[in-house]
Amino acid sequence: SHTQYERVGADVTMKCGSMDWDAAVTWMANGTDIDESHLNGSYLILKNVGLSQSGQYSCYEGSSWHLKYQTSLMVGTPPKEPVLMCRSNNYPKGFYCSWHLPTPTYIPNFFNISVIHGTREMVCEKDAFPKNRCHIRYIQLFSTVKYKVTLTVTNALGKNSTTLTFDEFAIVKPDPPESVVAKPVPNNPRRLEVSWQNPSSWPDPESFPLKFFLRYRPLILDQWQHVELSDGTSHTITDAYAGKEYIIQVAAKDNDIGTWSDWSMAVHATPWTEEPKHLTTEAQITETTSTSTSSFMPPPTTKICDKGAVVGSGAVAVCWTAGLVLAAYGVLFI
Amino acid sequence: SPSPGLRRRDLCSRGIRLAGKMRSDVVDLLDTYVEWQGLDASASVAAVEGVPAAAVERWDEQTGTQRLLENLAAYRTFRALLAQMLEEQQEQLGEADTELGRALASVLLQVSAFTYHLEELLQLESRGTPSEEVDVPVPPSHLGLFERKLRGLGVLRELAQWAVRSARDLRQLAKPSPGSSSAPGPDESP
Repeated sequence: SHTQYERVGADVTMKCGSMDWDAAVTWMANGTDIDESHLNGSYLILKNVGLSQSGQYSCYEGSSWHLKYQTSLMVGTPPKEPVLMCRSNNYPKGFYCSWHLPTPTYIPNFFNISVIHGTREMVCEKDAFPKNRCHIRYIQLFSTVKYKVTLTVTNALGKNSTTLTFDEFAIVKPDPPESVVAKPVPNNPRRLEVSWQNPSSWPDPESFPLKFFLRYRPLILDQWQHVELSDGTSHTITDAYAGKEYIIQVAAKDNDIGTWSDWSMAVHATPWTEEPKHLTTEAQITETTSTSTSSFMPPPTTKICDKGAVVGSGAVAVCWTAGLVLAAYGVLFI
Repeated sequence: SPSPGLRRRDLCSRGIRLAGKMRSDVVDLLDTYVEWQGLDASASVAAVEGVPAAAVERWDEQTGTQRLLENLAAYRTFRALLAQMLEEQQEQLGEADTELGRALASVLLQVSAFTYHLEELLQLESRGTPSEEVDVPVPPSHLGLFERKLRGLGVLRELAQWAVRSARDLRQLAKPSPGSSSAPGPDESP
């Protein structure tokens, strides 16, 4: 069986095997007769081929219906410059490179990767999955000599390539921290305890310790708070807004080299608040007292209460807490 | 007196901090050097003769003693190389006190301190310290000014790599393994 590759927009001429130009033939595309207007004698002419014209083309002798020629037409494009990325998320074991084409070619492509370190050519072992990825084990560490990685992509219609040059330290980027957990701290309305683990892909956190970057904000605000931690895999936030739901993320970086990881999966947590039921009883009593004695005290409808309450019980608790505080002041000034 | 194990761990953690500060200062020195010498920061420098290369194969298989000996040899050489650079610098400019001169002197001091630190660690390993003889080739007199500047760049770059390596070496050394002289099992899983 024959395969023919043609560029999108090309004009294609198909001969019916060894049949003469003036022979009577019938052409079929994917089992459908092709109109005679596309024929020039026994030749099939396809002008300005498009992707939809890919398929099986067959040619039959006029009277006998003998199959004289068959081909599989694949319409596509030559490859554009591939996109290549190399990264070490398992330092100091090695690094991996992955690639893709910016636009599809619609025909099979073959990738070849070469890795050169100084004068030495290294083998990049292809990964089973994902397909467009290979990994290299470091032979030398702490080298100042740069690595040169060249990726060449070839298909029936052309080829293209790209090269990356980098040094050992520059491509180090760990995976994000794992198992990030944030918990409220009992009896502490402004604290949140956050803990996480080193990414499992980082082989030796003892000799190659990671440092961490924590960011957090209440869901209702856009501005993040940041904390950089040089060691340890936990941190207590002490300035959380009472009763507000927080979003928290952590990133990691090797202590000495490379760049920060992507942010971890976000976790949500709300600081501890007192039981609303218990407060209701007390606040009701003090409220009655305040209204009967002083008029300067504003009703307990603070701004915090009005902002789109995210957590129902939390918001209520804040309102009541505010009311209690104001009521207490009111009592003081009697 | 503290047990050898504790003393080793203490020396290691101090050494790691020294190496960290040293690296940071060498990186700053590199910026100063490049600026003062009018060089292009991304200039490619071929391996310079006589400068200890930090690059090493099978790093994870090295014994504690090997690590210390290699580090010691390297820093002794750097101490001599930096002293040479400082002298050349002073010759060039005539003045004793320049920003570059001060930065070089500061790093030289740290390299000396680190060398001493390594000697202490080696003594703890009861290996004793090898003799002080250091083979530092004097830059050939026919080397022009520009070549000398490039050589200096190569020295500092390699020193920066060593500072990173040394911190890792000391962390390996500080690991509570059965015997510091026995090779830690290399992790073979891909």
